[in-house]
This record gives sequence, C-alpha cells and structure tokens, in this order.
Amino acid sequence: MTGVPHAGSLVVSDWHRCPDSKEYFSKILHKKRRKRFGLLESPVMPPHVPVDTVHYKIFLSGKSGVGKTALAARLAGLNIPTVHHETTGIETTVVYWPVKLRESGRVLFFRLQLWDCGENALRRFDHLLPSCKDQVDAVLFLFSFTDRTSFDDLSNQITKWTESSAGCVKVVVGTKFDLFMHCDVSGREVRDFQEKWSLPVLRTGGEVTDVLGDVAPILNCLSENLWHQDCVTAGSLSRPSQPETTAL
Amino acid sequence: MFGGGQGAVLSSCETEAGGGVVWRVFQDSVMLIAVSRGGGKEEQVRLRRLLENVWSCMVLVLGQDELVHVKNVERLKKELRSCFSLIDLLLEEKLEGILGSLTHCADSLLPPNASVLQETVDGFARAADSEFGCLIVHGRIASATEKWWRLAPQEVILLSAFVRSLSSSGSASCDYPVFLPQGSPTVAHRLLRFQLLPGADVCVLCGPTPPLHEAEAQLVGRFWSPLVETLRECLALGERCLPGSVTLRPDVLALLLINRETRRSVCCVQMFPHHHTLSKTRRWELLRSFYTFSTSRYFSQEEAACGPPEERALVGDFLQGFSHQPQQCYLVTEECKSFGLQTPQHQLFLLSPPDVPTFALRTVATQTLLLLPLMN
Repeated sequence: MTGVPHAGSLVVSDWHRCPDSKEYFSKILHKKRRKRFGLLESPVMPPHVPVDTVHYKIFLSGKSGVGKTALAARLAGLNIPTVHHETTGIETTVVYWPVKLRESGRVLFFRLQLWDCGENALRRFDHLLPSCKDQVDAVLFLFSFTDRTSFDDLSNQITKWTESSAGCVKVVVGTKFDLFMHCDVSGREVRDFQEKWSLPVLRTGGEVTDVLGDVAPILNCLSENLWHQDCVTAGSLSRPSQPETTAL
Repeated sequence: MFGGGQGAVLSSCETEAGGGVVWRVFQDSVMLIAVSRGGGKEEQVRLRRLLENVWSCMVLVLGQDELVHVKNVERLKKELRSCFSLIDLLLEEKLEGILGSLTHCADSLLPPNASVLQETVDGFARAADSEFGCLIVHGRIASATEKWWRLAPQEVILLSAFVRSLSSSGSASCDYPVFLPQGSPTVAHRLLRFQLLPGADVCVLCGPTPPLHEAEAQLVGRFWSPLVETLRECLALGERCLPGSVTLRPDVLALLLINRETRRSVCCVQMFPHHHTLSKTRRWELLRSFYTFSTSRYFSQEEAACGPPEERALVGDFLQGFSHQPQQCYLVTEECKSFGLQTPQHQLFLLSPPDVPTFALRTVATQTLLLLPLMN
C-alpha cells in the first residue's frame, strides 16, 4: 500500500455535473431514476464510443443495524428499506458508475458489486464469511452516527481485515448523518479517526434528492481508490491489468 | 383451558360483529392467531391456510430449532423481523394474479419456448451441483427441474414467494440459508438466486458448493446469455401467463386452471374486449372468493382430506352427505357468473359476464378447458 490518493487526483470529481458526462450517465438512468440491470445486462454505449468496464467486489462491513443493506440500495438507486431487519444471508447489488480518469481523459464504467451479509447470519453459518472475503477488492466499513458502539468498533474491524486481506482498499462510511438530533459521534472524533488511520471517511443519510449527486462522493471515492490500488499493484501509474470488456 | 382439560379442542371463534379469530399451536411452542373482519366457513379456510403459511415462512427463514427451543425470547422477536417482508406478502395478497398461498398450487407461467428453458434450467442446476433449479418470471414459475416439483407443494409456493421478495429489492444475486419446512426443517440448504433480467430470476437449492461468486461468474453467463431474447419474451407475457397462441373466448373475464396431479396452476384476467366494467383488482378478488367458495363446499381438496382434523371438519357438510363427488358448480351474482369444473386431473374456475345465460356456462368452461395447454 502506498497510502490513499488525494481526492480528485486520479478521477474527475463531480464529473456527473459536466456536460461531456451526459451521454455516459444517461446509460445508467431511466426516466430520471437509476436504471436496473439484471446480471445479463450492462450499460450499452454506441459502437463508436468504446468503453471498458472494470469489475470489482466490495464487501460491506459493520455492526447489525448500521445500514449496510440501506447503503447498498442507496448506491444502486433502489428503494431504501424503511424498517430495519436482519439480512439472513448474502445479498449482492451491482452498481454501474462511469468515471473519467484525470490524466488520460479516458472514461471507464466501474461495475461495483456490493456484498452485504447480516452479522448474525455470518456468525450462525460458517460458509458465508469466506465466500464474502474471497477475491474481495475493497471493504466499506460502516458506522452509524447514531450508534456510538458501531464507531468504537471500527478500529477492531479494520485491524482484522488488514491482517486477513492485505492489499484491499478500505473506505469508511458514516450512516444516518441526517439524524443529527440523535448524533452520538462528534465531528472532531471523526477527524481524529481519519488522521489516525489515514483512510477516507464519508457521510451519508437522509432523503435522496439528487439521484446522482447523492451517491457521487462515495462512488467516486471508491472508484478512485480501487483504480489507485490497481495501479500500485501493476507497478506503474499507467493502465494496470487487462481491461475486462463488456461481454454481454 | 377449561375445554383442554376435558379433552376438547377449541380452534376458532366468531365475534358478534361477524369477525373471526382462528389460532393454532405449532410444535408445542408457538401459537399463531389470525383475526379477520369476515367470518364464515370460507374465511376460516383462508385463515387456517394463512396460519400454516406463516409458520412455514418462519421455519423457512429461521429453522425449526430456533422456534421450538427458544433460549432468548427477545432475540427471537428480533430475528423474526427477517420474516416480516415474506409474511407481509402473504397477508397483503394484493399482488394480483398470485394465488398460490391460497390454492397451494404453484403459480406458473406457460412460456412460449418451454423446451429450451427446461433444458437450460436442468443444465444450469446440474452445473451448480444441484437437482433443484427453478426459473421465476414475474413471481411465477416458468420452468423448473423435475426434483423441484417433487418438493412439498407448500415449499414450492413459499420458495416462489421468497424469491419474489428478494427479487423485488433489486439485488443482483444472493446466497441465503433456507430450511425446507417439510423436507428439512432443521438443516439449512443454500438458496442461490440470480437476477438475470429485472423480473426474471433463476435459483438453485444446493449444498456447500459452488460458492456464490463462482456460480455467478462461471455459470450464469454461460447458460443464460444465449437466452436473453427468450427471457424477454417470457417477461412480455406479463400477467397473462399464457402463450400468445392461446386465444380465450371473449366471454371469459378471468380464469384459474389447476393441475391436480402436478399441483401447478395458471391464472389470468382477460381485459379485452372492453365490454365489461369490472376492474382487474375486483376480478382477482372474485376469482379468489369463488375458488374458496367451491373448494370449501363442493370440491374436496386432496390435502384437506389428510390434513389436521379441524381442516377436515371444514370440508363441507354437503360433501359428507353424499358418496359421490360433485363435478361442476356455479354461482350467479349481480357482478358476474362463476363456473367451476373438475376432472380427475384438472380444476377450472372461471368468471363470465352476467349477461351470459347460465345454461351456457358449462359450454364456456368445457371449451376453455380444451383450449388451454394442460400443463402435463
């Protein structure tokens, strides 16, 4: 690991606001909402605009009730469940996100598959965790601003994952940021945490008002870190591994 | 409690205002109580079935052991919330055109390209080390392996409902431990589900292998990519569930066909031609209540005959007075005319407009039965 890239140094942040991004983002939208893709589908660009798709597996880690399932739904633009219940197995959600690389100006579709599994299910059934860990590219560590213990537990979780899956990208996301009346974690503590671990910490919560803007900070940050990691692994800042092109 | 001491079993009661309360204790551990506004025999049949289904949902998600040997009630209450969305599906019954939880016959869709889908489901399941595979389109079974049909009818229906609830969340795939309420209530199997297209899911029940990631990366594309167009055709059938080649008589407003041997069913509402004012929702309601009416009074049901005593008692007094079985029945109301027909292999229930002469109903039904692909 060679640290974390500076936000916006590798990918164009807020690219969804630029006019040149429109034809790409239109492929993941349908009637002003996010488009749903089955496993046999992917965003299709016209033949004269070839775009590579890069695939990643991301695990959502965090205490029961912090909002792992809700975050996955939010990032994919699906209906966010209103009542909490334990996820009793593994559920994966696929998110397509177009990204423009700053240096080359090249556009890529990131296919982020989010792996979500309830904590109780992980404890009760031994086969679930290995399946989640296998070939994982990134872990999103979740804590809830309304649950102190979920924040205190972060260090433990990060250490555990650092030992078992060395080269994977780590990003921290604080959920339920909108419920400031019940806030249990202060801004200062979050800053201290960020300094100590030098990991990106993002916030989410509340109603979705802007279908792209709501998720752009998290998805861009995640994509940038994944891309950086690939570049480090490949040993150069040029194109890392062979692109996995859209096959379907 | 007083009755219990005397060896009597009390299992339901009705309120003065016409409401009904029905209850049942499962495995000497959990008592489920259903309360409804309507009373009467039909409603009791429905509530009994509901209780049984709700219990099975709980077993499916949590396993029987958790429910029977309760160590911590508070924890169990929390865990039970995982079944709520599934139970809601059964309670709401708003999902039009899904009658399986009532009929205990699997809601099916008759795809235009049945043999190709069958081969692919079989091959896909085999490649995933499983004998149990199923393709579900719009919540109805479009194709399934032979072994899937040998699961208990109730399990087939609950698994369909489970997949429907998972599918509607929009997730791409999942690996859920599930307990089969009758086949394996204490040992979990893995249910792998893949959303091929929004609305079309394939699932397999399997053992420890293959891992989800592997099945998805290696098998989904290989087996299903060539069938994208076929799957889209199935999705396009929508609620009609019948291939486009089947043209129903214009005087059929809605129908439910059950294959009594395979315990599969298809049902549909015909909105064209526009000569009738009954809304789609109302037609489904009428079809449901006519089914309950006929089966609780005239057509005995295979499972009811061997079910618990209180359910047997519900098979109408009418039936008990005769040595023979009614083959046909009809009901005329202001809204529509309904006709039911049973043969050793099938049951057909249909609704016609009130202006169809009552004596013609039988002809409408027999002709329709001949017209339908019989799901053999």
